[in-house]
Amino acid sequence: MPTELDQIVAELRDGDRQERIDLLLDFARELPPLPERLLAHKDASHRVEECQSPVYLFVEFEGDRVQLFADAPIEAPTVRGFVALLLSGLNGATLEEILGVPADLVERCGLTEILGMLRVRGLGGVLRRLKAEVARAAIDRAQAHGPESMPSTG
Amino acid sequence: MAESYAKPEILVSADWVVDHLNDPKVRIVESNEDILLYDLAHIPGSVQIDWQGDLQDQLVRDYISPEKFAAICARAGIANDTTVVFYGDKSNWWACYAFWAFKLFGHDDCRILNGGRKLWLDQGRPTTTVTPKHAPTKYTVKGGDTGRIRIFRDEVLKHAQAGRPLIDVRSPKEFTGEKLHMEDYPQEGALRGGHIPGAKNVPWSRAVNDDGTFKSSAELKAIFEGEIGLKPSDPVVAYCRIGERSSLTWFVLTYLLGYPNVRNYDGSWTEWGNLVGAPIAKGA
Repeated sequence: MPTELDQIVAELRDGDRQERIDLLLDFARELPPLPERLLAHKDASHRVEECQSPVYLFVEFEGDRVQLFADAPIEAPTVRGFVALLLSGLNGATLEEILGVPADLVERCGLTEILGMLRVRGLGGVLRRLKAEVARAAIDRAQAHGPESMPSTG
Repeated sequence: MAESYAKPEILVSADWVVDHLNDPKVRIVESNEDILLYDLAHIPGSVQIDWQGDLQDQLVRDYISPEKFAAICARAGIANDTTVVFYGDKSNWWACYAFWAFKLFGHDDCRILNGGRKLWLDQGRPTTTVTPKHAPTKYTVKGGDTGRIRIFRDEVLKHAQAGRPLIDVRSPKEFTGEKLHMEDYPQEGALRGGHIPGAKNVPWSRAVNDDGTFKSSAELKAIFEGEIGLKPSDPVVAYCRIGERSSLTWFVLTYLLGYPNVRNYDGSWTEWGNLVGAPIAKGA
């Protein structure tokens, strides 16, 4: 797991209930706006279907580093906060690092305890979708630039 | 003049809440699907009571004990004679669910803020991020008439077999069995898709306007009596997936239309869809 994400997970895990909520809200408030050029592409192909709220995810590569962009409504602060957390922890990571993020990240952050079982399922879906989109972007890139551009997955 | 609701006092307006923000006899309670919303902004003086974290006991899959309920009320500054006004996101689903749970414990004076969280914010009403500290009260749980507003699976089976009215308030695709949850929600919860035999589908959302307020008495009657053919004296059971959307419909039938015999089946589809031996029907 990238160091940045590791630090966020540790901070959440070590916090008490209110500290976890406050941290997640801080992430929700600070999700960077989508770059102008992506605004027109908020369509079904970028929609995170696992989320009931309209959440959009964009994946780009800069060299072998992944750049993530996302949009989620502030009226759904939990999912917006979690998306912002993933962006903050994973931007600039490699394909290998992102695919290696543990599937039980939500539990590791201690979010199940504050949100309850019923609410966290959608969040796990965001992470699965993010990994799938990153993998797909890597394949598209390899097809466009030849297999040597395919980042190593170890 | 428009016909009024059966119990119009059960709904309060945003203006009413503004006038009672500092009324010690009134406590505003927020209950949401997204638990972070309260911390993002809430009505000044309001407290958050979470349907899942606070009111349910996950270990027994039931509501909390009377002692725990009394402790929650005491901490929230709710006394036995307090007027409790519920509001929340999603057109007050969870507010109605909390209202229903408070009735299970026998709290007398419960109201709903018409329009809920959305209308309050849309109208630019005052909000805060400050969590209030209310002087603790002493609360004695009276105990509600549970059998009158709640129904369990064995009784639901008898109710269905007797051909009595069942209202399935889920979305049409959940009703037919194409989906196990609303469109766009994670599809989980039940092994089978469909509905309880004999149930009629009236999605909960048909009872509310786009701004989150409830539809008029005449509009509600046109749906539940005109289309579905319910009579006020009917014994009605409402259900959904986990009992939250159906508590909104329970609220509408009981308080806005004044039906005396409506029960919420909170086991709902997550229980019935998984229940060994329970009959289901598929399709419209």
